[in-house]
Amino acid sequence: MILSKQWLADYVDLPASTAELAERLALAGLNHESTAETGADAAIEIEVTSNRPDCLGHIGVAREVGVLYGRPLRIPDPRPVETAAEPRRRLTVDIAAGDICPFYSARVLRGVRIGPSPPWLVERLRTVGMASVNNVVDVTNYVMLETGQPLHAFDLAKIRGARIVVRRAVAGEPFEAINHKTYALDERMCVIADGERPVALAGVMGGADTEISAATTDVLLESAQFAPLPVRAAARGLVLASGSSYRFERGPDPAMVDWASRRAAALILEVAGGALERGPVEAGRLACAPAEIPLRSGRVADVLGCDVPQARQREILVGLGFVDTATSPDSTTWRAPSWRRDCWREIDLVEEIARIEGYDRVPEDVAIAARPVEWSAREMAVRRAGEVFIGAGLCEALTRSVVSEALESVASPWGDAPPLTIRPALVRGADRLRRTLLPSLLEARGGNAAVGTDDADLFEIARAYVARPAGSSDAASSPVEEPLLASCVVGGDYFRAKGLAEAILGRLGVDAHATVEWRPVACALLTQGRAAEIVLHRDGAAERVGIVGEVAAATLEAAALTGPVAAAELRLDRLDGVIARERALERPSDFPAVERDVNLVVAESVPWSEVAAAIRGGAGGLLERLRLVQVWQDAERLGVGSKSLVVSLRLRSDSGTLSGDAAAAAVDNIVAECSRRTGATLRA
Amino acid sequence: MSAATLESFLAELDRLRADSEAAVAAARDAAAVEAARVEFAGAKSGRLKAIQKALGGLAAADKPAGGRHFNEAKAAVTELLAAAQARLAVAAAAGPPIDVTLPGSAVPLGHLHPITQTIRRVQEIMGRLGFESVDGPEVEDQWHNFEALAIPAEHPARDPLDNFYLAVARGADPLLLRSQTSTVQIRVMEARRPPLRIVSLGRVYRPDTADATHYPMFHQVEGLLVEPGTTMAHLKSVLRLFASSFLGGDVHVRFRPSFFPFTEPSVEVDMEWGGRWVEMGGAGMVDPAVLAAVGYDPAEVSGFAFGLGVERIAARRYGVADIRDFYRNDVRFLRQF
Repeated sequence: MILSKQWLADYVDLPASTAELAERLALAGLNHESTAETGADAAIEIEVTSNRPDCLGHIGVAREVGVLYGRPLRIPDPRPVETAAEPRRRLTVDIAAGDICPFYSARVLRGVRIGPSPPWLVERLRTVGMASVNNVVDVTNYVMLETGQPLHAFDLAKIRGARIVVRRAVAGEPFEAINHKTYALDERMCVIADGERPVALAGVMGGADTEISAATTDVLLESAQFAPLPVRAAARGLVLASGSSYRFERGPDPAMVDWASRRAAALILEVAGGALERGPVEAGRLACAPAEIPLRSGRVADVLGCDVPQARQREILVGLGFVDTATSPDSTTWRAPSWRRDCWREIDLVEEIARIEGYDRVPEDVAIAARPVEWSAREMAVRRAGEVFIGAGLCEALTRSVVSEALESVASPWGDAPPLTIRPALVRGADRLRRTLLPSLLEARGGNAAVGTDDADLFEIARAYVARPAGSSDAASSPVEEPLLASCVVGGDYFRAKGLAEAILGRLGVDAHATVEWRPVACALLTQGRAAEIVLHRDGAAERVGIVGEVAAATLEAAALTGPVAAAELRLDRLDGVIARERALERPSDFPAVERDVNLVVAESVPWSEVAAAIRGGAGGLLERLRLVQVWQDAERLGVGSKSLVVSLRLRSDSGTLSGDAAAAAVDNIVAECSRRTGATLRA
Repeated sequence: MSAATLESFLAELDRLRADSEAAVAAARDAAAVEAARVEFAGAKSGRLKAIQKALGGLAAADKPAGGRHFNEAKAAVTELLAAAQARLAVAAAAGPPIDVTLPGSAVPLGHLHPITQTIRRVQEIMGRLGFESVDGPEVEDQWHNFEALAIPAEHPARDPLDNFYLAVARGADPLLLRSQTSTVQIRVMEARRPPLRIVSLGRVYRPDTADATHYPMFHQVEGLLVEPGTTMAHLKSVLRLFASSFLGGDVHVRFRPSFFPFTEPSVEVDMEWGGRWVEMGGAGMVDPAVLAAVGYDPAEVSGFAFGLGVERIAARRYGVADIRDFYRNDVRFLRQF
């Protein structure tokens, strides 16, 4: 909303400084956007929140100024001279849809001379950014900007059948607007029709055929109330927003519907001549039911934390147009003014008093009692995973939650359901909620490679979105599951990605409650045979909590990347139940350790995990550390189908120094257990 | 040396020990240590040798004591010299001098995203003020994103063009990507009773065309406090403590009246930053309708809420002119934080 300072001064005495006025209005809720000096006048642009349609006209803003500075208002009382002719004899107005148009009034002026507006009118409109059209149209715009009540002037000679009907549009009904574009309407919209066809899109824009032209002599002046929804449906649906639709979407003051009509008629007579017929032709009833609101005497202090004297509270409310209807020692009942339908509860009155009194009155140094705060397991999991990633040299990426089909065409490790879609797209082409973060991270790595950074190791901790199977028990509460994923894409092989995953699982301490198994997995993103799923075993149940592997060649190619690149993705939401918040100390042994290297030969098909389990099982609690030193195969020396595993064992007892014999016995036991479980033999 | 008293003999021993310690301490290289060895422990004319001769000149009754002290001193000097030689040997084995300007071994350090760093900073400060961080779903229903927040069905904020609605619905209830993190506040209030202090944070989504100051996906941090007797003075005081901690120094906050459906009164919050008022977010007292919607009695408890746009704060904090840079994931950008 752009204000003309001179125009505002018609209704209230202003402070000399425009900057001070703008600042004061801003601190009372009319945010200041800019001020432009225009000759003798100044254009002050303010931002009006959607609850304050009263300030979409100069009079409403003048009222605010009056209250803020304690100055009286000067509102004119337009009484245009009327002829004896009664328009209702020759014109009928009907409302067919009272829910979307509660009230409609039409005044008729005859013998009007259309021409340019006088300089004062042109100047005022220009100051507030509106071009002059002709004297009659300018008056309707002027009065809208004065009162916030939109008006429309029709060329009465073009109205067919001498009637006005306000009705819902018929689906597909064509309408040519003043901008000479033709629109197909739908039944959510409201039209003003004459005897034959729509002549205006109610509250939004007039029609081309009935607009005021140089040849117009008789004018039908509309002033009405339209409901917000049909106006919004038309303005947004047809991309046809106007100053009129903007105001009707917010609700102009019902008490100004007739005032604005009389004001416009008087101004038309002044600038365009002609004669006004007696009284308006009306249909419907003005919807106006101001609220009666009790305000308890201590309430303002209870909300604000500082007191505003009763007399001052009264002064503010009276200045804003509230009327005292009942007073008791403890409370006063106020009737809201017709232009403040946003005020209907006690808390609304408190806000009015606060914003006029000024929020600088509210203390900023009251004591706040201390309270305990605990980190949630989820928060802890997110932080610990992030620590591992940045400790390992990865940078955190933030990629979009919604991706294009190209990124979502691969299967997700987290569910078979097709991706969920949104409308509109987040950005062009991206309308699918992602089911894994890995394609986005690969794309980001590719973007880095394209600008010459081919070693961008990235991680992200974010949600994915997976449709739950219809009919499942969880689907009733929410049809969408949101796995919280900690994912990374790094240069290197399977083992680099696995090392990161292991470090996170270790940092979360999942081994205190569960065991982790790495199983070969088939996953379209990853190379077959060089990828694993991470399975968590707990309380007899097993579930997938992660995947890790080398990124498949086709996937790399699609992301314009050259390998090797590895990836890992962990479901933190499945891990926060097993993370160790704190662990009891395991006191390190004071006795010396014994180091032994053992070279075991097993069949190639035996996985390391089985050998490691056998070693641990055979060690009888003496094994402090197990390290795999080397894996090698040599058909000549080991035979075909065998492999050698060189392991380094650190044995230590926490009850005494381990003797050479005891250590040897432990190693023998370990080898025996490996032999029993995996068929391993000791290589000399 | 002529016949001596025990007293002068012992004094001579003390001098020898003091001199040898000084000489070894001053020795910077092998030659100096060797010179000290010759001076004090030399087989032919070392000072120990000379004192040993004086031992013979002591009275017979003094000889045992003199001998014992001599042996102690000899052992001490021998050990001192041996230690000095060992020290030099270690130094010699450590390798030749190096070009100390050569680069150190690279330590790969990763970087948290500046948005995450900003969120963590807010969490940390609010944590000290007793606000617990909470999390909630990003796909939301009408109740949590709108109705419980006093945004009725006909409200423009619910327009399909202003939200990302999902193609899938829960029965007749359309789902959408949440447009604000206040949804989490509703979920927490539904599940718990006051007193309550929480910050909800995370991604939110609104169909804005991406430009230097808008992105259709962004981050919010919202605080909520619900306790009996809460006033706007508490809100202002908490925000001032936050501003002073976040920006440093004694920062004042300014409230400008505003309008949000879920708070009443509602204000825009300005903080003094770099010598001028900067708009940091919105705030207000929790609307009684919101308290009632979650089953609280507005006559018994009151509360305040505030929200901060993380991108805006981070952009200003780090001098990022175009918020789209936060989502380009260029490591040349990310490594600067």
